Amino acid sequence: MATNKSAFSRRSFIKGMVGAGVAGLLPCRFLVPQAQAAAFDPEEFQVFRNACPRNCYDTCSIKTYVKDGVVRFIEGAPESTFTRGGLCVKGYAYTRRPYSPDRVKYPMVQDGRRSGKWRRVSWDEAMDKIARKILELKEQDGNLLGLGMTKYSGNFGITNYAVEGLMSSLGYTTRFVGTPCWPAGIDAQNYDMGNMWCNDPEDMVKSKYIIIWGANPAWCSVHTMKYIMEAKRRGAKVVVVDPVFTQTAAKGDVYWQPKTASDGALALGMARHILDKGMVDRNFTDNHGLGFGEFADYLRGNVTVEWAAEQSGIPAEEIRQVAEEFASADPATIWIGYGMQRHTNGGASVRSIDALVAMTGNVGKEGGGARYGHLQTWGFNYNAMIQQKPEGSVGFVGGAAKGEFDFTSGSEASYSDRTVNINKTAQNILDTKDPALRMLWVSCKNPFGQDFDRPKLEKAFDTLEMVVTVDQFFNETVANSDIVLPVTTLFEEWTVNASYWHYWLGLNEQAIKPMYEAKSNIEIGMALSRKMNELSPGSCTFPQEPDTREWMAKEFNQGIYDLFGIDDWTALKNGPVKAKLASSASWSTFQFGTPSGKYEFRSDICKDNGHMALPEYMEPRKSYDKFRLLTPHTKFAIHSQFLNLDWMQEYDKQPYLYMHPEAAAEKGIKDLDMVRVFNKVGEQKVVAKLTTNVAKDCLLIYEAWFGKGSTFNVQNLVDDESADMGEYKAGAPGVAIHDQFADVEKA
Amino acid sequence: MKKQYAFLVDSELCIGCFTCAMACRNYYHPPEGVIWRQVYPLDEEIYPHRERAFYSLACNHCENPTCLNVCPVEAYTKREEDGVVVHHQEKCIGCGNCIRSCPYGAPKYNPVEKRAEKCSFCHERLDAGLKPACIQSCPTGALSMVDLAELEPGNQVQYPAGFPKMEDVNPSTRFILPKLPRLVRR
Repeated sequence: MATNKSAFSRRSFIKGMVGAGVAGLLPCRFLVPQAQAAAFDPEEFQVFRNACPRNCYDTCSIKTYVKDGVVRFIEGAPESTFTRGGLCVKGYAYTRRPYSPDRVKYPMVQDGRRSGKWRRVSWDEAMDKIARKILELKEQDGNLLGLGMTKYSGNFGITNYAVEGLMSSLGYTTRFVGTPCWPAGIDAQNYDMGNMWCNDPEDMVKSKYIIIWGANPAWCSVHTMKYIMEAKRRGAKVVVVDPVFTQTAAKGDVYWQPKTASDGALALGMARHILDKGMVDRNFTDNHGLGFGEFADYLRGNVTVEWAAEQSGIPAEEIRQVAEEFASADPATIWIGYGMQRHTNGGASVRSIDALVAMTGNVGKEGGGARYGHLQTWGFNYNAMIQQKPEGSVGFVGGAAKGEFDFTSGSEASYSDRTVNINKTAQNILDTKDPALRMLWVSCKNPFGQDFDRPKLEKAFDTLEMVVTVDQFFNETVANSDIVLPVTTLFEEWTVNASYWHYWLGLNEQAIKPMYEAKSNIEIGMALSRKMNELSPGSCTFPQEPDTREWMAKEFNQGIYDLFGIDDWTALKNGPVKAKLASSASWSTFQFGTPSGKYEFRSDICKDNGHMALPEYMEPRKSYDKFRLLTPHTKFAIHSQFLNLDWMQEYDKQPYLYMHPEAAAEKGIKDLDMVRVFNKVGEQKVVAKLTTNVAKDCLLIYEAWFGKGSTFNVQNLVDDESADMGEYKAGAPGVAIHDQFADVEKA
Repeated sequence: MKKQYAFLVDSELCIGCFTCAMACRNYYHPPEGVIWRQVYPLDEEIYPHRERAFYSLACNHCENPTCLNVCPVEAYTKREEDGVVVHHQEKCIGCGNCIRSCPYGAPKYNPVEKRAEKCSFCHERLDAGLKPACIQSCPTGALSMVDLAELEPGNQVQYPAGFPKMEDVNPSTRFILPKLPRLVRR
C-alpha cells in the first residue's frame, strides 16, 4: 500500500510540474523497482513510434513509452531486424533530451553577439523583428539574395525540409549547398556505377571476406556490427584498414595501418596483384564493364605492389596476401567509410576501391558490393520544400547547384536561388557580393561546431546584420546569433525517417506536447508567414494553417507505398517496414546508371568534369605542419549533438588529444598533461592521452561539443581545403577534413 | 544447483559502446553520479591497446552477497526463484554499510533519496518475461543473461585479470576474454 501511495503522489506531482514546464529539472525516477514491485506492465504506458533523425547510418526505429504525458523510457523497435529492440548510447540518451534543463525554452534575443545577454521575447516579438528585417533587405536590395540559409544534418526528418520551403516562400534566397559528409565518394560512385547504391547491410552475413576501409561501425553504426560478427562467426575474414587502430579494428582478424590518404595507392597495388595472378573476374569485366582493358594497361604501366607498399607503408607481402584472399573469396565485400574520402584525393581513392571490388566480380552480388550509402528509399514528395515564390520575386540569373538530398524537379523560372559552397561557409559569407549576405537563417545545423576554420567563421558572422538560429541548445552558433528560436525534439513533432544505409522506414509520431515554447520547423515557418503577411500582404506564400500531422502525410506517395508494401502511411504506426528488395544486392541486374549502362572503369563524364577518366592514383595533400591531425567522430556524439547532455557526460566528461607515447616523449608530454595543439588555422587546449592506437606522426581529437561554457572545438584546427570531387552530385566539392596538420606542445 | 541468473560479459563481442550503461540510465533515470552499470576499459597490461577492450559491469548478484550480510535492517533479499539480489530502498536507512563492504562497488549512494541503491537485474521486467534493459540494448549480444545452474562449461571465466577474486561471496558474472587481431603497422 505504501508503495502505491508514494507512486500516486509522485505521479500527480510530476503532472503538475509538466504544466509548469519544469519537469526536466527533476531527478525523475519512475521505474525504480519497489519492495513488492509488480511485474512491468506495458498497459500502463502509451506507446509511440519514433525514429532517430540524426546523421547516422543506423536511423534507428524507436518505441517510446509515455505515461502522464512524460517520456519515461525508450527502446529499439523489435519489428526492425536492423534495430532489433536496441538503440545506441546516443539513442538511449534521447529520453533526457526534451527535459534537459539546458534547452532553449523560449524565443530569445541576444543584445550583442557572444555577450551572453539573452532576454526572453514572445514568439510574436521575435517574428516581428525577423519579418521587418527581411522586408528591409528586400526594400534596400530589390531582392532577397541577401538572406542566406544554412541547414544540414542536425535533423534529417523529411518534414524539416520546411526550412527550405520557408526560404522559397519568401523569394529567391542564397543557399549553402553541398555536404561536409560524403560528396567525394558520391561522385566517385556515380562515375563508376551511375549512382551511389549499397547492398542491404543485413546481407553482410553472407560475405566470406569483409574489408572495412576507413569506417568505424563499432562507434558509428553499432547495429551493423552484429552482421559483421555473424559473418565472422560463419568463417568470414574481416580486415580493417584505418590510420587509427579503431574499436572496429580491434574486432577484426587483420588490422592494416596505412599512411593516411594512401588508400588509392593501396587499392591499386592490390588490383595490380590480382591482375598479375589472373584472378580477375573476366565475366564481369567483359560483359558488365567498360574500359577494363585500359585500366589493366594503366596498372601494368604505372603500378607495382612494391610501389603501393612504399606509398602506404603496408608491406608488399601483406598486400599480396590480402589481395589474393579477397579475390578468391566468394562473395567478398568492401565497406568504404566516409572518413577515407575526406581528402584532396578522396574521390580518386574511392574510385580505386570500387574498381577493386568490380574487377573481382563482387559488384551486383549478394554479400558482395562496394558499400558506401544509398538514397533508394528517399523518394518522398518533399512537399514541405516546394513552395511558390511570391509574385514579382527577383532572383539570381543563371543555373544553381542543388544539394544531394534535393529530389525536387528543376525549376523553370528564369531566376534561381543563389548557391554557395557549404564547405566554405566563412569565406563565402565574406566574399559574396551584389548583394552581400546580410542575414542568415540557421536550422538543423551548428556551423560553429561543424563548419571549417572557426576563427574565420567568427569574423564572417560579424559582418552579418542579423543571424537567426533555430536550435534546442545554446551552442556556439547560437552564441554568434542575435535571435534563437526553440525547436522541437523528435518526441514533440511529426515526421518520417529513411536511412542512407539500411532499408527500413520509420514513422516519427508526436509522443508528447512540445515542452516550453518549442515549435517544429513547419510551425516556425507558419508563424513567420503569418507575420510577413500581416506586415506586407503577399510577401510570403508559406501556409499558415497549423496541422503538422497533415504535412507529414503529404510526404507519402504511391511509389513509397509500393516500395515498402504498405497501403497508407498510418500502417507505420504498427512498426517500421522494410523496402521490398528484388535482391539484397545493389546492381543485381547489372544495369548500371552510367551512360554505357555498364560499370565504367573508364568514365568520360569523370574526365569531362576535370578528373582522370580511369581510377588513377592521385597524390595526397602536402603536409603543412609537423603532425597529421585527425578529427573523426566520437562514439558519444554525432558531430555537436548529444555530448552536452548531463546523461552523456556521466560516461564522457571531457575531450582528449590522443598521441603516440614516443612522439609525446619527444615533446616532453606525459599522460594526462594539458597540451596546446596549434596550426595555421588556430589552436585548442586539451588534455593528452598517450596510446599506440595512433601512429607516431598523428594527433587525434574527436569532434564534440560539451556545452556548459566549454570552449573546446576541433574546428579551431581544421581549414576549408576542398576534396577532389563532390560538385557533380552534391553541388559543391567535399572538404578535406582529414588532410589537416598541426603541432603540439605542453601547455 | 539452484537457479542463479547471471550476466555473461563476452568481451570478444563487446565493442565498448556504452549502450548498456545508457539503456540502464534511460530506464531508471538515476540522479547525477549514480551509476548502476558502467563500462570499464581494460588496463593495457591486460589488453595491450588503450580503451579497445572492455568489461561491462553492474551488480554481480553474488551467491553469498556481502551487501545482504552487512545490512542492519534487512533491506536486501536474495530471490529464491532466480538468485537476483534485490535492494528494498524503502527499508534502507542509508547507513552505507553495503556501499563500504561490497568488494565490487555495486551499491551506490543516492544523494537525492539519501539511501543506497544498485542494479536490480530489472527483476520487474524479468517477471514480465522481458530481458533486463541493458541486455536488450546490447547491439552485438556481448551482454547476455545466463542461468549458472544450466551454463555449459565453455570458454567463460569467473575471475578474469583485473576482476577481484572474492571466492567468499562467489560473484555470478561470467566473462569471455577479448581477442587480438593481427596487426600490420607501419
